[in-house]
Amino acid sequence: MNLFRSEEDARRWSEFVPGSEAGIVTLEQAMAIMSTPRHRDRFSGHYVSSSPGYTAEFFARVREVTGSDPYWAPPA
Amino acid sequence: MADIAMLDRTYDFIMRRLVADGRAPHHTEIASALRVPPADGLRLLRELMAVGLPNWLHPDTDLIASFPPFNNLPTQYRLGVGGEWRWFAQCGLEALAACWAFPGRTVEIKAPCLDCGQPIEVSVRDGRIERAAPATTRFYVSVPLRDWRRNIVYT
Repeated sequence: MNLFRSEEDARRWSEFVPGSEAGIVTLEQAMAIMSTPRHRDRFSGHYVSSSPGYTAEFFARVREVTGSDPYWAPPA
Repeated sequence: MADIAMLDRTYDFIMRRLVADGRAPHHTEIASALRVPPADGLRLLRELMAVGLPNWLHPDTDLIASFPPFNNLPTQYRLGVGGEWRWFAQCGLEALAACWAFPGRTVEIKAPCLDCGQPIEVSVRDGRIERAAPATTRFYVSVPLRDWRRNIVYT
C-alpha cells in the first residue's frame, strides 16, 4: 500500500504485480476509501466494540469508489 | 478474557498516546493509565491485538509495532502537523487516514517514491486532499482487497 509519483512509477516499481493495474487509484479515491467510520471513528472511545458495525459501510464505499472492480471485491 | 469496555479503553489510550507523543506506550504505561496491575496491562494489550484489527506487535515481543493509522517503527511515510514531525504512518493508505487523528488541522505527508526515489508531498485535512506534489501522485496496492487480511503486514 504505497504512494508513487505517477501511475507510470507504480507500473515500473520492482514489486509491481502484472495484472494488478486495478490497484492503482487516485489520491482522491484513496481518501474516499479511508473516510468511512471504520477509519474516522478510531478516536470515538468505543472503537473496538463498534468496529464490527463498520465493515458493511467500508465495503460499500470501496465498491462505489472502484466501480465494483473485482480486484476490490471483499473477502467471500 | 477482558470485557469489551476495557478493550475500548485500552485502544483509546494507545491511540491518544500515539497522537500526543508519536510513539505507542509500553504495556506498563497501559496498566498505569487504566489503574490495573502490570500483568493486567500486558493481558489487555495481548487481547486487544488478538481481536482482529489490523494492529500487530513486533514478533516475539509485547511491543507495539503497528497501530493504524500510525506505525511505531519508522516507515517511509513521515507525518507532520503544525511543523512537528513526530509520526510515521503504517502505509500509504493509512497516511491519508491520519487526518482523522488531527481534526481541523493539515497533516503533511512526506515519502519517497519507491520507484524513482524522488519526493512525494501530500497535504490532507479532514478528508480532503489539499495539495499533492506531484499532482500525478497515485496510490497502489499489489494485493487484491480479498487477500489483505491474509497478507496484512506485507500489504
